[in-house]
Amino acid sequence: MIKVFLLFLLITSSISIYSQSKHTVSGTARDKKSGETLIGASVSLLEIPRTATMTNAYGFFSITAPAGSYNLLISSAGYLQDTIQVVLSQDISVSANLTPKNDELEEVVVTTVRKDNNVTKPLMGVQKLSVKEIENLPVIFGEKDILKSLQLLPGVQSAGDGGSGFYVRGGTTDQNLILLDEATVYNPSHLLGFFSTFNSDAIKDVTLYKGAIPAEFGGRIASVLDVRMNDGNSKELGVSGGIGLVSSRLNIEGPIEKDNGSFIVSARRTYADLFLKLSKDTNTRSSSLYFYDVNAKANYKLGDKDHIYLSGYFGKDYLGLGNSFGLDYGNSTATFRWNHILNSRLFSNTSLIYSKYDYDIKVTSGNNNVGINSFIRDYHFKEDLQYFVAAGNKINFGLDAIRVTTSPGVITAAVGSDNFNSSSVPDKQALQTALYFNQELSLSDKINVNYGLRAGLFSVLGPGAFYTYDSSGNPIDTANYGSGTIVKNYFNLEPRFSMSYQLNENSSVKFAYTRTTQNLHLLSNSTSSNPTDVWIPSSNNVKPEIADQVSVGYFRNFKDNQYEFSSEIYYRNMQNQIDYKNGAQLIANVNVESQLIFGNGRSYGLELFVKKKYGRLSGWVSYTLSRTERQFTQVNNDSWYPANQDRTNNLSVVAIYKLSKKWTFTTDFVFYTGNAVSWPSGKYPVNGQPVFYYTERNGYRMPAYNRLDISFTLQGKKTKKFDSNWNFSLYNVYGRENPYSISFEQDPADASKTQAVQWALFRWVPSVTYNFKF
Amino acid sequence: MKNISALRLLVIMLTFSSCQKVVSLNLNNAAPQLVIEGEITDGSGPYTVTINQSVDFYADNSYPAVSGAVVKVSDDRGNTDSLKETSPGVYSTNFLQGKPGATYSLSVVTQNKNYSATSTMPFPVPLDSLTLNLTSGFGQQRIDAIVNFQDPPAVANYYEFVEYVNGQPFPRNNFVFDDRLSDGKYISLVLRTDSSYISSGDLVRVDMYSIDENTYTYFLELRQSSGTGAFNATASPANPTTNVLGGALGYFSAHTTQSKSIVVN
Repeated sequence: MIKVFLLFLLITSSISIYSQSKHTVSGTARDKKSGETLIGASVSLLEIPRTATMTNAYGFFSITAPAGSYNLLISSAGYLQDTIQVVLSQDISVSANLTPKNDELEEVVVTTVRKDNNVTKPLMGVQKLSVKEIENLPVIFGEKDILKSLQLLPGVQSAGDGGSGFYVRGGTTDQNLILLDEATVYNPSHLLGFFSTFNSDAIKDVTLYKGAIPAEFGGRIASVLDVRMNDGNSKELGVSGGIGLVSSRLNIEGPIEKDNGSFIVSARRTYADLFLKLSKDTNTRSSSLYFYDVNAKANYKLGDKDHIYLSGYFGKDYLGLGNSFGLDYGNSTATFRWNHILNSRLFSNTSLIYSKYDYDIKVTSGNNNVGINSFIRDYHFKEDLQYFVAAGNKINFGLDAIRVTTSPGVITAAVGSDNFNSSSVPDKQALQTALYFNQELSLSDKINVNYGLRAGLFSVLGPGAFYTYDSSGNPIDTANYGSGTIVKNYFNLEPRFSMSYQLNENSSVKFAYTRTTQNLHLLSNSTSSNPTDVWIPSSNNVKPEIADQVSVGYFRNFKDNQYEFSSEIYYRNMQNQIDYKNGAQLIANVNVESQLIFGNGRSYGLELFVKKKYGRLSGWVSYTLSRTERQFTQVNNDSWYPANQDRTNNLSVVAIYKLSKKWTFTTDFVFYTGNAVSWPSGKYPVNGQPVFYYTERNGYRMPAYNRLDISFTLQGKKTKKFDSNWNFSLYNVYGRENPYSISFEQDPADASKTQAVQWALFRWVPSVTYNFKF
Repeated sequence: MKNISALRLLVIMLTFSSCQKVVSLNLNNAAPQLVIEGEITDGSGPYTVTINQSVDFYADNSYPAVSGAVVKVSDDRGNTDSLKETSPGVYSTNFLQGKPGATYSLSVVTQNKNYSATSTMPFPVPLDSLTLNLTSGFGQQRIDAIVNFQDPPAVANYYEFVEYVNGQPFPRNNFVFDDRLSDGKYISLVLRTDSSYISSGDLVRVDMYSIDENTYTYFLELRQSSGTGAFNATASPANPTTNVLGGALGYFSAHTTQSKSIVVN
């Protein structure tokens, strides 16, 4: 008897020694009302602050701690904090469902929650934009627009009125990697830049990486814009939308199986061109100017460990002048993803992604019927593994492979077309593969690091003829390669490192170094980007662009995290930048690479940002002082000169004020230095007409840009079933004629003089939108 | 592409609030530059070389003539013509007769500096006819001239068209075209103007030149850098690549010439 008892004691005591080991609590954080997963929610054990972590892009979190009883805290901006009691005697899985906060006037609530992630997390130069935040920002035509709202943040500059794309820390528009559910969006704008391709109804989370870019991302040298779509309400069917003067949108979402799967479809269309149908002129009547786009997503939970997602985007712009000219272009993307939880600490995501951007031009003139088509298309496979090793130690690693095809220009001249022959520039093929590794490590209470390495191989593939050129651009050699053979390999290692040092509870300093490379280049030789600009891959003539960026920042929160302050300085060095010879012929040119010149770039600046995060009055002020320059042997005698998008000063002020329970007022003010431009310093005659004489590139500046916008939102009656609001906004309140371009010509009224003429796009643009939600 | 600019205009009109105005800019005043324009054609002589100087942007459009230069044009058959200054800055040939296929060399010496250029006159391509094109849209009507001709196949051809309305030029009345995408086709090319310069009852004359590649490049770059209107500005306007060596602006072109006229009814 006693022997059995002693044996029992021995066994139980050894069990209790063994249970001093660690266990893991993992799970998914969701919105209680809709079931949407919450990205970037803060999760920690109250008793061990060091375990603080954030949910990943699928709402998943994992915390490992010694056995014991704990309070698990989960919080996210716009939600009430949730606390779950957990007993870690073994690995457990929990489901955290957070209740959304009401949009009422709110007192500052003191919590132990990390509202100070901007201070503690090492990643610097990261801007998160919540769709709720941009809801009330006044934008042109009353359309909520993620891209336009991003441009109000430090380091991000607008490409100007009517310009598509944006500049991040002095980079060009093609140097931003824009992802929608992991699929590349090649042209993020509709209607030549007046709208963006992101329908906020379908968007859940927007993160812009401009300083420290995690190793899982690569392919562009200035920034990564990671946009995630909503999954769809998995609890009940919902319909919402908006009707405006210029465009309307409709959103339908609902469960496929309650709590286990959902779908969402969002669509919108502009109809400004309906006014054209009223014209008496037949050509005007048959002109068109509209775009539509559709975002669709479905997801389903296959079991406790598996979840699949299928999402897609399709958008098209149509611009046409009568029967003589038509241009249509658009992006289409499709992403299939499979989340698999290997164990409570190892999360896997496998993605299969398709993306295509193409344009079609049709010209009918006299007897000619000509079409020009061009596209860029990706097939992409990605496997990402996230290993939550221990508290304060997370690793992610994976593999990325993209097969890219670019078709720079196919001309189809219909039979009987007089002026043009059919011709085509052959497709170009390439394969970009990368392996990456990243670790987030908390070295001590004060020091957090995030470091990684991305190893990328860009392979230029056949089939095709590959030319080499002399300095005048004449082909001197042609090498022919068969299908699938490797013409050239470019291998690049991209180290990424960032670190934060906590000075005290409210402030920290951060440092980051990032190397990035880019193998797809957008050729654009005009003052603003066109949808018909051509993408080309690196080749035997075009080398990968390489950037090294160093940044240092100081971050501080005030008044219990109600105010956030940050200041960052950065310096980025860029190699193998592309520019064009005078008179470069970029369209449908087999020898387009002979039209390019190569040089260096550098950009540096100071970004200051103050934000009041909540209260009756909230908003922010952002100021950037910066410079971006280029150096090419063939331009300005090889000296450094300001790039087109160089803007010395850039100021944005945003204020959101809750006037009452029903009325919210928002205003924003934007000021920035004009672009660097090339203007004449003299004139001379050719064939009796004045021709302008240029002494240098970009030696002048456009006048500064400034604009004030206001918007009022009236909240309608809110019941359990129905919610609505009216939005009234006025873009450019004081109607300033901000110059879009300045050109030079002979004075039509006086042949003995020449004059400069300025064009401005928008003066006052009012709009009214009615938004509803069932 | 020019058509993109028309579309941007369309987008602007629909947003009903864009505008245009003359502005006064603070432009630098570069030192005067020498400008040499020389043409040798297959028509009857004399041919002229004009030498001027550039002026400041806001100065009057009267360019100082450069007198007393020593100007010579030689062909590849051993003939050299020493041009005489027939009016200030204008130097004319005495006996030279332009022939297709011949190469001409220009030499200019002024203020102790040498300038030179060469150009080979291509073979003529007949201009069959001049017709008219009417486009309408947005309440505007535009009449443009159309040149009709057969492009010789298997040869790189470069063309220049200079248009006059009632004997007068107008801004950007100079068009160039090459057969890179149209070799061997019968061409009906619309000479699209920026504005309505042609109305009913006008006499339209178009001169068609077969030019060499350097001249084509010069006028193409000239046209690209001189875009007007909201959307025609190029990101990198520059001085057109000249075939004149020595540091002068301008060009030297040997080309064939023919002309057709039409009255607009």
